[in-house]
Parts: sequence; C-alpha cells; structure tokens
Amino acid sequence: MFNFAFNSLSEAFLMQSQNGQNHGFFVWSVVVIVFLCILSTFIFYKINIKKLSKKLK
Amino acid sequence: MIKKFIHQFASPKTYIYQVDRAYSYIFYISLVLYLVSIFWGLFLTPEDFVQGNSYRIIYLHVPASFISQSLYIAMAIASAIFLIWKVKLSVYLVRSIAPIGAITTFIALISGSIWGIPTWGTWWAWDARIVSTLILFIMYLGLISLHDSFSNHEKADKFLSILVLVGSVNIPIIKMSVEWWSTLHQPASITISDKPAIDLVMLYPLFGSIVGFAGLVTCLVILSSKLQILRRERNKSWIKNYV
Repeated sequence: MFNFAFNSLSEAFLMQSQNGQNHGFFVWSVVVIVFLCILSTFIFYKINIKKLSKKLK
Repeated sequence: MIKKFIHQFASPKTYIYQVDRAYSYIFYISLVLYLVSIFWGLFLTPEDFVQGNSYRIIYLHVPASFISQSLYIAMAIASAIFLIWKVKLSVYLVRSIAPIGAITTFIALISGSIWGIPTWGTWWAWDARIVSTLILFIMYLGLISLHDSFSNHEKADKFLSILVLVGSVNIPIIKMSVEWWSTLHQPASITISDKPAIDLVMLYPLFGSIVGFAGLVTCLVILSSKLQILRRERNKSWIKNYV
C-alpha cells in the first residue's frame, strides 16, 4: 500500500503512464493552480481583516 | 424556544469569539491531513489501469467539486434560517460563503478541464455535468454582485437569501446530471448505497483529501465571515473591544 509509484524524482515529475504518455504536466499544473488559489485566498482575507481592524481601532 | 436558542448562540459577537478559538486547531489539522493525503495520492498509490497517471488529479478535483456543491447547500440552509428566524449571522454567512464557493467551483472547473485533455482529448465539452457546474460558478458570482449592488443592506440580505434558495435547484441537477443525460463525465465513484467503484488503496487518500480540503475551506469561510462581520457591525460597541 505504501510503495512509491515512481523510482526517481524525474519519473515523478514526468509521470509517464503505461501507454507511454507523460501526464506530469497536467497533474502538476493542477497542483500548482489549486495551491495558488488556496494560498492567495488566505492571504487576501488575512490582509483585508488586518487593514479593517487597523481602521476600526 | 428554538428561536431563543438560535438568537442567543448565533449572535455575531458570540460567533466571532468562538471561531477565533477553534480556527488554529481546524487550520493545522486540516493542512496536515490535506498535504499528507495529496502526497499519498500523488506518490504512493498505483497507476490507474485505464487513465494512467492523469487520474491523480482526482485528489484535487473531487474535493473541490464536492465542497463547491456542499457550500451552496450550506448557503441555502443559512438563507432559510435567515428568512424564517431573521438571524443576522446566517445572512452574513451566506454572503461570506459565496466567494469561497466561487473559488472552489473555479478550482473544480479548471482541474476538470486540465484532466479532460489527456482523458477525453478535449479541455471542454458542452456536457451536462460541466455546464451545470459552470452555472453554479456563474450563480456564485451573480449572488455576490447582486448583494453588493444594493445600498440598503436589509433589502440586499432578503433578495440574496431568496435567490440562493431558488438557485438551490441546480444542486440536484449537478448531482444527477451524469445519470439523467448521456455525458462524457464519468458517474460517481462513491455512492452511499453501492460499493465504491474505486479501489480502497486509492479511496483512503481521496477521503483524506476531501476532509482536509473541507477543513481548509472552513477556515476560509471563518476568515471571510470575520471580514463580513467587521464590515457590517463596525458601529457596534463590542467591535471596538474586539479589534
């Protein structure tokens, strides 16, 4: 259950499937987009709460 | 009695102090769970026999898609509470959830489109599941714009709640679209009544990523609702003590 699916970092980056296609580009693009969306939303709200709290003080 | 209970415990002041206490616990537990599940899904699960390695997008796409619909259901419940019991906090929550719902739906659409390229050979199809999800995204944006276009908050809150309830008809359509129509999108892999169509080795990290993502989204809703409360209750005396 806990065996690595890839033998090296470059394999994990390319994610070559048995049909010979590299799916790494698609998977890693989604990972980057999702993490950027979550992170930027957290930053947006944190900054706005801080700004408003300062204003209300 | 229910009305008294709701009004006592659902005041913005009580809410903001309670969520402040819970925020850090929810955030760190969810973050660890989400990261561990994503790592597990990306590196420790075997390749899918049909889709190859592109199926690993499931660990990011499914949580976003599931949560985008769940957030709308939460908005509909909060809207009903506002319309029935006139609880201010519930309409603040409706307005706070809408942008987070838009972001999760955006993630679901984008990740689905990228997944579609290696799987279907196209990034977009006018398919019932995809179109109904796009409608959900437009609805979230529409609800935000509608609420912000009013200068009278009371009117805006009422219109927002009614429209959220009307729009909730889209949720069963999204859910059932893969069964009612012939679609490119695959049917649900996990259902309450049947055995999951996905192997347990792949299912465990999927559950972890859904729960972890739900926790992170809860934290975002907490932040968004805090901002909403600070804006709407700025003239109240307790706000001065809080900030």
